Amino acid sequence: MTPIVSARGLSKRYGRTVAVDNIDLEIPPGRIVGLIGPNGAGKTSALKAILGLATYDGELSVLGRNPSRERAALMEDVCFIADVAVLPRWIRVWQLIDVTERLHPRFSRPRCLEYLAQTKVTPEHRVKQLSKGMVAQLHLALVMAIDVRLLVLDEPTLGLDILYRKQFYTSLLNDYFDEQRTILITTHQVEEVEHILTDLLFIKDGRVALQATMEEVEQRYVELMVRPDRAAEARALKPLYERELFGRHIFLYANVGRERLAGLGELHTPSVADLFVATMKGGDA
Amino acid sequence: MKRLLALIHREFWENKGAFRTTPLVIGGVYIVFLLMAMFTTAHFDNELYTFREAVRLLAEQPEAFRATHANDVMLGSSLFFTIVLAFVVFFYLLGALYDDRKDRSILFWKSLPASDTLTIASKLLAAMVLAPLIFWAVFVVTQILMAIIASLMVLSVGENPWTLFLSVVNPLKVWLILLVSYLASSLWFLPIYGWLLLVSAFAPRIPLLFAVLPPVVFAILQIWIDFLRTFTLDSSLFGIIGEWIANSPAILTAQVHDGRGTLALGIPLTSDFDHTVTLANIFDRLFSVPMLIGLVVAAVFLAGALWLRRRATDS
Repeated sequence: MTPIVSARGLSKRYGRTVAVDNIDLEIPPGRIVGLIGPNGAGKTSALKAILGLATYDGELSVLGRNPSRERAALMEDVCFIADVAVLPRWIRVWQLIDVTERLHPRFSRPRCLEYLAQTKVTPEHRVKQLSKGMVAQLHLALVMAIDVRLLVLDEPTLGLDILYRKQFYTSLLNDYFDEQRTILITTHQVEEVEHILTDLLFIKDGRVALQATMEEVEQRYVELMVRPDRAAEARALKPLYERELFGRHIFLYANVGRERLAGLGELHTPSVADLFVATMKGGDA
Repeated sequence: MKRLLALIHREFWENKGAFRTTPLVIGGVYIVFLLMAMFTTAHFDNELYTFREAVRLLAEQPEAFRATHANDVMLGSSLFFTIVLAFVVFFYLLGALYDDRKDRSILFWKSLPASDTLTIASKLLAAMVLAPLIFWAVFVVTQILMAIIASLMVLSVGENPWTLFLSVVNPLKVWLILLVSYLASSLWFLPIYGWLLLVSAFAPRIPLLFAVLPPVVFAILQIWIDFLRTFTLDSSLFGIIGEWIANSPAILTAQVHDGRGTLALGIPLTSDFDHTVTLANIFDRLFSVPMLIGLVVAAVFLAGALWLRRRATDS
């Protein structure tokens, strides 16, 4: 299977600042990849390079194309929502649908209208009359009506309330995702996407800090909760990260057999958020 | 082609106020003024005596005199449309590659499969063809309405509008000349349009300032250095731009020609071109060396705008 995105030595510099530092990565088709990193880690710079919105150094191929030279052609197979509320404020919904239909060969008007029928957005609305949540619904309806192979979502739910956020990811998963499609999501609200992700990609200081499928994460990482009196024993097994919660010590281990830990306390699969914190604060995972 | 038309349509939707409402308002103002003049005359002119006399005097003039004057009046009344069109196009182009960067909607437009070349072409064509066509069409409709009102006034004092002016004017020729003049001016001003698009793609904020300040500073330096060197105030960038406007194929002023005042192409200050309003003189400008130089300059500016646009995102 040819990868959807493939990068070798991808770098992006702004003057002396290195935003993306020599990244190698490969994203196979049919995955939902969470690109997760702290502010300023280089997520947006990497996404902009993938979408042909910015120049970069190194080799990058998206669906076999060079994004910086072939953006327009690439956009027939790639769609993105870069942040919420980037739809032009002056436009009416019907005009937006019209112009998208005329520009995009893979856009389906009936499907878009079907999605919109489930919302309060009407064709006569101007984008500026809509609430932030409705704009996000409109943008998602447009994007889901386009049959593309790669969908990139950069903080798609920023500033939305929890009802909209839940619904956003539910529609995405139920109505859109299938084996042929790949979705790349960046977000700070890790808890909300972790159950839909198939792959994790952590970025720290412009480098890949972790790249793994969710199954690999479950096999490789384990969280152990112990009473204070056995903390020293647990610490001896070289955890990646340690924290305290309600008087219990919680340790996160990589590649340590569950059978070695089972006697010390309770075992859990770590949440993506905990793994993220451990990766960012501790050393490389 | 289908995508280009879709993008031009998009420009129309975004700029309906400037492209459509503005000429409609000007046309409305023309008609309201005509009606006001009519009622003022009717109010102060005792039984329309003066108006009647004026119409009678006009009717006594030879037909050729009436024809040229009626045609000049028709064509001359486009001046206000032309000037407003110039302002509309100026500010449209200044915002064309700036507004969507400012409100970040560029991130949406760039998510659609339309190349940056096509986007810039659509904006240029909206300025060069779409806006002039709409202004021209509204002008034509305005003139038809005004001719109807004027005819009714003339009829009301017992004269025949057909023999007085309707049969002597050549509206199709007037409208054709104006249309050709508009489209030719679009080509003529391409270097300036290219500059505005370049600034629009470049300006981090206040594109107007970035459009006007560099030429002004440049010209002032040029004038100063020239003055130090030669103690004269000869050609400068101001002179070049001024001359460019003076030589344009737009109908802008009047000149004395064959002993009487007629309309002129551009401003008849130099004798580089014939300023008499004819189709031949309009085309003369398009197939000239200055036009060729202008196109080269425009190409450089537009290439710069494209280069910037391809790298442009929201930040």
